[in-house]
Amino acid sequence: MTLTKEKAGALCFLVVAIAYGFMIGDIPSLPSDKFAPMTASTLPTALAWITGTLAFLLLIIPQRGETDDFLSVFKGLNWGRTFTLLALMVAYGASFNWLGFVLATIFFLTASVYVLGERRWRVILLTSIPVTLVFWFILTKLLEITLREGELYFAVIKLLGLN
Amino acid sequence: MLDGILTGLSTAVTPINLLMVFVGCFAGTFIGMLPGLGPISAIALMIPITYGFDPSTGMILMAGVYYGAIFGGSTSSILINAPGVAGTVATAFDGYPLAKQGHAGKALAIAAYSSFSGGTIAAIFLLIAAPALASVALSFQSADYFALMILGLTAVSAFAGKGKFLIAILMTMLGLMLSTIGQDQSGIQRFTFGVIDLIDGLSFLLLAMATFALSEALMVVLKPEETSKEAEKATKGDLGSMKLTKEEVMDLAPVVARSSVLGFFIGVLPGAGATIASFLAYGMERNFASAKEKLKFGKGSLRGLAAPETANNAASSGSFVPLLTLGIPGSGTTAVMLGALISYGVQPGPRLFVENPAVFWSVIISMYIGNIILLVLNLPLIPYIARLLALPKQILTPMILFFSLIGVYLVSANTIDIQIMVLVAIIAIFLRLIDFPLAPMLLGFILGGLMEDNLRRALDIYDGELSFMWERPLTASILSITAVILLAPMIKGLLDIRRNKALKINDGEG
Repeated sequence: MTLTKEKAGALCFLVVAIAYGFMIGDIPSLPSDKFAPMTASTLPTALAWITGTLAFLLLIIPQRGETDDFLSVFKGLNWGRTFTLLALMVAYGASFNWLGFVLATIFFLTASVYVLGERRWRVILLTSIPVTLVFWFILTKLLEITLREGELYFAVIKLLGLN
Repeated sequence: MLDGILTGLSTAVTPINLLMVFVGCFAGTFIGMLPGLGPISAIALMIPITYGFDPSTGMILMAGVYYGAIFGGSTSSILINAPGVAGTVATAFDGYPLAKQGHAGKALAIAAYSSFSGGTIAAIFLLIAAPALASVALSFQSADYFALMILGLTAVSAFAGKGKFLIAILMTMLGLMLSTIGQDQSGIQRFTFGVIDLIDGLSFLLLAMATFALSEALMVVLKPEETSKEAEKATKGDLGSMKLTKEEVMDLAPVVARSSVLGFFIGVLPGAGATIASFLAYGMERNFASAKEKLKFGKGSLRGLAAPETANNAASSGSFVPLLTLGIPGSGTTAVMLGALISYGVQPGPRLFVENPAVFWSVIISMYIGNIILLVLNLPLIPYIARLLALPKQILTPMILFFSLIGVYLVSANTIDIQIMVLVAIIAIFLRLIDFPLAPMLLGFILGGLMEDNLRRALDIYDGELSFMWERPLTASILSITAVILLAPMIKGLLDIRRNKALKINDGEG
């Protein structure tokens, strides 16, 4: 027996509804809740029940028409590049405070363009560096938005004795 | 009304607002043209920029992006048969065959004229319908709003597609569940797990960017489409003459008129939108066509191109009616705009018409200007704009990822948001792969808080009784319509299953 993508989705929703329902118990109540027509848990309780019931219904009602097997929809896709890009995004967020906006962005754009298949360094650098600098100029000089310089910047300034 | 129009006109024609209409139309056309990126992404990418503007300017920019994106989608539909926007899928039916026959210029010109006519006619309807509905809506109470929100959420799911109703409702419920994260009205924390960043709830911008802009860009990487050769040919080749003959104009005029009216009214309906309007207009014109003309549909019919192009732009304008008058978005795109309005500190709903007339009227007036700009921008610039289609994906995709990430960071100044976005984007990709629609989730998330507030107020007024649902005639009527929308697909589904069973039994006996 194969699991269709709809049924797999319904199963995920059922799990989410049950987990959400259990967590409603953690919502604190106020002394006045006894007399209030609606408390902080009223809507979540209704949502948990409705979602759980609908997910269960989707799980048990017969499938209409042909549909893909759950696992087949994940096959033949470019997972390598996608996960590398996701990792680069995580690294971008993590390096932002250390490298600062300019360096972190240049690294992120350079690496992303490279990962997506561009191998001409002239094109890569002519894309990442000007875009970063123009964007930095617009934000800091025209829109007067402060962007973090990064720990590295301060470390270099200190090293050079410029402050 | 005249005062309002004058207020709107004086706001819309300020240099900054005129510039924003232009920027919006241009950026929208460009983003809409990129296969895979829709108007929701286009608008989400613009929101961080609009935070520095006043609400009228922000809304004008986003409205420009919306109809620009719809128009941009038609360019890629016609030239490379790769609709950038779902609302322009029907445009490709006849637009692409026309381009293959060497009439790309004519097809693009028809698309431009039809979009202009559809958008302008619908803007006239909007000018009349919106204030009228807003005046009526002033008498609405919390109970009615609660019912209207239920109707909006249900209708969006009902139009999700055949066999997708339950799935869309589940996605709406997910959006509602996400909206309960954070502090509620009484100050109680819900589902925050002690994380300080979650006390204010999930950011609407983060959710919109991660589920649309980011995940759509990543889906292009995940499922690359081979359109590069077509794009290269389309951008380098001669587009052909863009002139229309007098006979062609006369033939298309009634098509444009009919499709504008149909598109506008479909756009007003909650849940329906540019996609449904374009398909319905295409179907309607095929039914109206003579037997000889009918044969041309799908092979390069000018009517088959003009009808969906007119209807999708008219529907885009129509979808502003519920947004501006009731504060209830009828589609994912207008839901994002509602979210933006709320974050500007503007209370959407019928009071908007009274309290912020400049926002209300300037958006409507800017649509006329926007449609003219779209026509002026697109007709002479089409051959050049088309070249953008040949921009390599390895350059464009990182830019979209960067703009999405930095857009959210600039608003929150918190790098944790970038990590949360990545996590949400992974979940969104999973949901996209198993065909669970994301627009209902976004709508549920945006309406969740408003719905809870209105339900709480209605219950307070009615001493905790649910009797307001049937005691107030207006509330009861809206809920009855909701029940019909909710039950119709279920009953149809059950009937289909019964019919299929009967057919199987008959086949077995035969």
